[in-house]
Amino acid sequence: MSKLNSIPVAVPVVQQPSGGAGNLLANVFDELTAFCRSRSLFMLHYCTGCGAIELPPAMTSRFDMERLGIQPMVTPRQADILLVTGYVSTKTLKRIILTYEQMNSPKYVIGICSCTVNGGMYWQSYATAKVLADYMPVDMYIAGCMPRPEAVISGLRELMANIRAGRSDNWKDYYRHYDHYLGNQQRLFGENWQTPTDVIGEARHYDQFGPETLGEHTALLERHQTPLLPFEMRLGLGSESNK
Amino acid sequence: MKLTTATPNNVSASLEFLLQEIPGLRTKWAGPRRLRVDLSAETLPALLALLKGRAGYVHLSAISCVDWPEQSEFELVYHLWSYELNVLVKAHIRIPRDPGVYLSVYDLYHPAAFFERDIHEMFGLYFEGSPDMGKFILTEWDGPPPMRKEFDSEAWVMNQFEWQDYRPDWLAEIEARGGGITTRPQDIRKDGKP
Repeated sequence: MSKLNSIPVAVPVVQQPSGGAGNLLANVFDELTAFCRSRSLFMLHYCTGCGAIELPPAMTSRFDMERLGIQPMVTPRQADILLVTGYVSTKTLKRIILTYEQMNSPKYVIGICSCTVNGGMYWQSYATAKVLADYMPVDMYIAGCMPRPEAVISGLRELMANIRAGRSDNWKDYYRHYDHYLGNQQRLFGENWQTPTDVIGEARHYDQFGPETLGEHTALLERHQTPLLPFEMRLGLGSESNK
Repeated sequence: MKLTTATPNNVSASLEFLLQEIPGLRTKWAGPRRLRVDLSAETLPALLALLKGRAGYVHLSAISCVDWPEQSEFELVYHLWSYELNVLVKAHIRIPRDPGVYLSVYDLYHPAAFFERDIHEMFGLYFEGSPDMGKFILTEWDGPPPMRKEFDSEAWVMNQFEWQDYRPDWLAEIEARGGGITTRPQDIRKDGKP
């Protein structure tokens, strides 16, 4: 026993973050969470345009995205990354916003192809939304028309590094500046635009409620918003003769 | 009895014989199996009924619309196909741009409902008797019909959307890591001129 105690143990010198308060274990769980999060990404690809054609080779054996821990996921409720792969028409944008709001935080958005940056070759089109980042916070753009699978994987590795380092937290911006994003959405879809997600309530839940969350656009939302009620439960066939 | 196959020659003769029943109709063969028919808007339903009833033209593949602002007219082209004759008939009619109303051919060809709804959305042309003239593809659209010639798509886009500026520092970050454009065109060219 005395021998065990005499063995020199190398204590690693840990750079203390500002709020660390001298405790070695203070950030262990944060670090661990960030590591695990970056290594297990479930990807929902919303294949809007031509960029989707580059995803099958990126996912399957040739380039094999799965070796990085990235897998396709079929439902937004269980996905971490939303991949928007091409031009976003006004009609599609509605569905993308609904999909994005269904995802659990933390969530990351990647815009693939030039079209998500500035409309791309559809810049003159009357029915295409130009800047995806106006309607939801985008973590990473992979530009190109279309980007090759190497570029897609390089962008995803970049995102992994950002998540690992804790730099990729644009999803918080959607809650902090919800009024800004909602205003841009209302400009396209009209003042009666409403999603079934209670984003303001979620902002409070994630502790991201800020002074910019509410504003003139969310005031408009509260005025016309119909409250989301649970479905009424009915037993029996419901006809009068059954009584 | 020997069955005769439909060759371009005997088909064209029988088709043209059939089309003589419609007054004021001009035909022109655009190819061995493509017949262009120009006629007045009033006689088009009669032509469609004739072709469907007596020449096996059961397939209305499309209705196209062309805007002619100089003549202040819309041109409607009905593309019809017969699986027996294997000849495409394109029936061209012109209708005035104002008020832009025409009859639906939904009673003869049910797929026409989709084509007419599409044309109504894109050109603002109204089809009387069509089952649904509601919004079709542009569900969020509240502007003028976008396929009319006077619609300026670029001006609309500039008024409606905003853009983000190009930021060269994005590329500088990538180049600092060894990415970006490494081979310039003048490096590939043999003379090396910039």
